[in-house]
Amino acid sequence: MSHNNNSMSANDPRQPSAAKPYVAQPVAAQDLPVDYSGFIAVVFGIAGVMFRYKLSSWLAIIFCAQSLANMKNVENDLKQISMAMMFAIMGLVTNYFGPARPGTQS
Amino acid sequence: MNCSLFNLLFLLFLLITSFSFSHVLADSHFEGFDAEDDETIEEEILDHHSIRSPPVSRSNSQPLTDLGTPTDPDPDFVPASDTPPQSELQKPSTISFEYWDEDEFEGLPAEQPPPEPVKDTENATPDDPDPKTTSKSQGATVSKKSFTLEIVCGSFLIVFAFNYFTGKRENENLALAWAAKFATKGSIFEKNFSLLGVGEGEDSPLLLKEGQTVFKFYATGRRYCQGLLATMELKSRHDLISRLFNLVVPCKDEITFEVYMNDEAMDQVIFAVAKKKAAKGMQKEVRDLQRFAGLMTNPSGRKWVVDDLSVISESKEVAGDLITEAVLEQVFGDKAYEKYGKNFISMQFSDQHPGMHRKMLVFKFALPDANNMADITRLVALVPYYIDLVGRYKLSSQARSKTETARVKAAQEAHKELKNARQEALQRKKAEKKKMLEEAEAKLSAEAVRKREAKERARQMKKAMPKMKMTRA
Repeated sequence: MSHNNNSMSANDPRQPSAAKPYVAQPVAAQDLPVDYSGFIAVVFGIAGVMFRYKLSSWLAIIFCAQSLANMKNVENDLKQISMAMMFAIMGLVTNYFGPARPGTQS
Repeated sequence: MNCSLFNLLFLLFLLITSFSFSHVLADSHFEGFDAEDDETIEEEILDHHSIRSPPVSRSNSQPLTDLGTPTDPDPDFVPASDTPPQSELQKPSTISFEYWDEDEFEGLPAEQPPPEPVKDTENATPDDPDPKTTSKSQGATVSKKSFTLEIVCGSFLIVFAFNYFTGKRENENLALAWAAKFATKGSIFEKNFSLLGVGEGEDSPLLLKEGQTVFKFYATGRRYCQGLLATMELKSRHDLISRLFNLVVPCKDEITFEVYMNDEAMDQVIFAVAKKKAAKGMQKEVRDLQRFAGLMTNPSGRKWVVDDLSVISESKEVAGDLITEAVLEQVFGDKAYEKYGKNFISMQFSDQHPGMHRKMLVFKFALPDANNMADITRLVALVPYYIDLVGRYKLSSQARSKTETARVKAAQEAHKELKNARQEALQRKKAEKKKMLEEAEAKLSAEAVRKREAKERARQMKKAMPKMKMTRA
């Protein structure tokens, strides 16, 4: 392949001199796709805490996991995801270890 | 993307079903039941205390009357009289059992069995209510706690984590398989471009990974174009929920080639080829296609693309020049399309491309799986072929006159829009400034009013004062 590099024949389309290095195009923060799963995780987490609903807290954990899996930008997205995680874990803790309702088992 | 919209609908559906469950499992029923049990227990304890005192008084009186009788009754009564005072010190439950069973609480043992059959029947109903009913049942009874919800959710999370790593690796393997076929030594892009990859130097990494599903490949150093960016958008294999969703709503792995043409290389060409349905949508939505080009009818008297595909172009002449014999033979013709054209999605050449770079060629293909990467070889070969073709192509004078007028119009309109936008911005700024000034003036005038009032008071005070001074003087 090296002889191709030296020859500037018409057959060789390459032009090393014309090479432009890659410039990553910055994506504006508003253009990023909406993190639906993170939002839903927060909703379920809050519902789980408020209504003491175990299924809701577990679903919040699952959607948090999905949001973590789809996270692209570590710095920006981690804050919202960690907030959703807080709600979900808080929901689980209050459901399982918190003050039990009268007659219910924690 | 369509995938994420459907995802949202799926999630909304989940929300609705979960809240409908909440109606079924209203906790208040069981709370009420439990609360009643608590109350009945407390009532029983109170009754024990009240019942105990009469027997104590009775047993005390009896030994006094019977002291004259033989000793047998005495020991009976003495212990009886001894035990009641002791019993008050003992736990109420031990003695109270005797009184319950005999007198008033005969029904209590019968009450215990009915809750159990009720629980058993409820255990037979679907899984989700189970942990609720059993976990909230009477604490005194031996509760059959089923951890169904916890087991289901925990196992889902474990499977999710497992799938994350396997899906991630699958996507990476697919991207690497593509790169191995088309971007390594001796491959088509290596022969066409001098600099491959995103870094600098010989050992630069070929692929750039942006997230688990997006991979980018950059190549530069070729005539007629500044560079080529290939973006692979793969299915979300790492996300279990998306994967389940894609079983219902099919999704494809896609690769998009964007070629940045040089200004002098590309003439005024607006041209697109896509599958029929997609072409209609494209022609309506994509701005430059909408403004300059229209759907083309198949020309008679010459070989043309397969019926599946339709062409969007400004003029028939240009379309005819760009759909060459070679292309028809290799990819778009009737025979070739069946074999090689299945992964073709769309192709778009534009010198008025909306966005940063004006003159672009955009190719979109579907990616086959890792073992069948060779299927798209001919499609990928279209890319450098068209770079050369469009780079060398010059419009004829007739075609140019048509395209020229259209573009001049478009440029004028764009200019007008810019002007209007600037004027609006200026007017807004002026209005804002006026508002600011008015507010400042209002504040000032309020302050000025206060000052004036203060001055007037001062003057009045002074007027009152001088008389005193005059008298002193």
